[in-house]
Amino acid sequence: MKAHSVDKWLPRLIIILIAIFLLGPIVATFIYSISTVWVKTILPSGLTFKWYGVLTADPDFIPSTLRSLILAVAVVLVTMLAFLPVIFYANVYNPNLKEKLRYLSILPYSIPGIVLVTGLVQLYGSIPVPKLLILILTISAICLPAFYQSLNNAFMGDDFRGMFEQAQLLGDSKLGAFIRVVLPNIRAGLMVGLLLTFATAFTEYVITNIFLTGQYETLKIYMYRLMNTNGNAASVLTIIFFIFLGIIAFILIKIVSSQKRSTKE
Amino acid sequence: MGSKVKLFFPFSLVMLIGLILPVIVMVIAGFQGMDGGFTLSNYTTIFGQNYYRMAIFNSLWISLIAGIIGLVISILGAWAITRLAERTQNILIILFNLAASFAGIPLAFSLIIVFGNAGIAKALAHTLHIGFLGNFSIYSLQGLILAYTFFEVPLGILFLYAPMKEIKKEWFEAALVLGANRSFFIKTIILPILLPNIIETFIILFANAMGTYETMYALTGNNFISIPIVIGSLIDGSLNANVPLACALATIFAAVMAILVLAGNRIINRKRK
Repeated sequence: MKAHSVDKWLPRLIIILIAIFLLGPIVATFIYSISTVWVKTILPSGLTFKWYGVLTADPDFIPSTLRSLILAVAVVLVTMLAFLPVIFYANVYNPNLKEKLRYLSILPYSIPGIVLVTGLVQLYGSIPVPKLLILILTISAICLPAFYQSLNNAFMGDDFRGMFEQAQLLGDSKLGAFIRVVLPNIRAGLMVGLLLTFATAFTEYVITNIFLTGQYETLKIYMYRLMNTNGNAASVLTIIFFIFLGIIAFILIKIVSSQKRSTKE
Repeated sequence: MGSKVKLFFPFSLVMLIGLILPVIVMVIAGFQGMDGGFTLSNYTTIFGQNYYRMAIFNSLWISLIAGIIGLVISILGAWAITRLAERTQNILIILFNLAASFAGIPLAFSLIIVFGNAGIAKALAHTLHIGFLGNFSIYSLQGLILAYTFFEVPLGILFLYAPMKEIKKEWFEAALVLGANRSFFIKTIILPILLPNIIETFIILFANAMGTYETMYALTGNNFISIPIVIGSLIDGSLNANVPLACALATIFAAVMAILVLAGNRIINRKRK
């Protein structure tokens, strides 16, 4: 009987403690963002929404958001056009290649951003090449492992080879067959992969900052500058950033859980 | 044949320009001096000078501690999640996904608001006379380890949650019927099943901490000496920039991490078989 009640309250206690720990700084940041002044006191002196106005009125806010957005959309496009066909081919036609692609999973840990940017600076640092374009390709390459993994599950189950070839027998071109027959069946996995890619590109910092020497000020670079100049506005930006990540995480879970439900049926 | 070229050309182009060529050039440049000639001096510098040895030691130390703390808390956390209602589990997984991606500058800034010199923790410590909290600095080694746990714990939980979920409550009940007690059950059944996942998760947490630049940089600037920070300061275009030296350091990092992760995979695959 005693073991049973421990089974009930102990997990809850652990989760509550971890949640308080992880959310504490974010809650504090939120309170800071609506405080008039909160320095060296336990509670803020007063509450206000003026910092939200200050941030959105800052002439650098919208441009830096747009720069992050452009980067993220470009990376998503590259990922779709360059990676998706190969992942399809490996899954449906070439298990050997698939076996090799498995090693991609070690990439983010053996070559983190700070290591990769060293190679970029060495190779492209002093030659006249479109660095923004190279940055887009590099971030796309970084996103490949997560993109590949999200799509892998999507290709299990259905007979994609049969569907793809039958559509072609019925007169579709390869591209047409891919768009009409394959894409709708990998929709969920593709969405997850693209969202992860989008989020990675949107929030990338170290490569963008060092390789482009701060010339292309994305939201994260702007956030760092703001952190050292106007802490209150930076706290507003941090909260907006958190909400943005929250929305992406929420959509991801919605897709994954509806996928689970439909496979159970 | 033509369609195969069309298929692989964009893929290869992106990987070559964005990843493979820079990494190859990085490895080669590690064996070059500032003038471009072949030399081993970058490597003798890294292993010979205290400054670089300290960077390597600090990185290993902080990653080891952050990895162990992260692992222990995430084992507890992942276990606790599987004991809750299915709906709650899904919501918690969203939360931990979110927490894991909240690393870097935003995390550092949030921690400065709480633990910084003008933060709420200092005010609390001062009013309530809590000595250790008053002395705690978020910009120190301990502070960095605390900061790392904010993304290591959710990351660990996400990796351990699925395998923990595989463990069925009925197994425990069956073991009880057969006369086993709780600790015997955990030691002889649960641990061997989970061990490969635990090893894998630890290696990922360790490697993830080793490569962390953004959080550390946002908290301490270039003041804390670690492998990522030293690389960053060697390539940021400042006066003491030395890109070939940074390339050598980055090469050592990439090689060691690749061996570690691959070796980890090996052990895990063998155990799973």
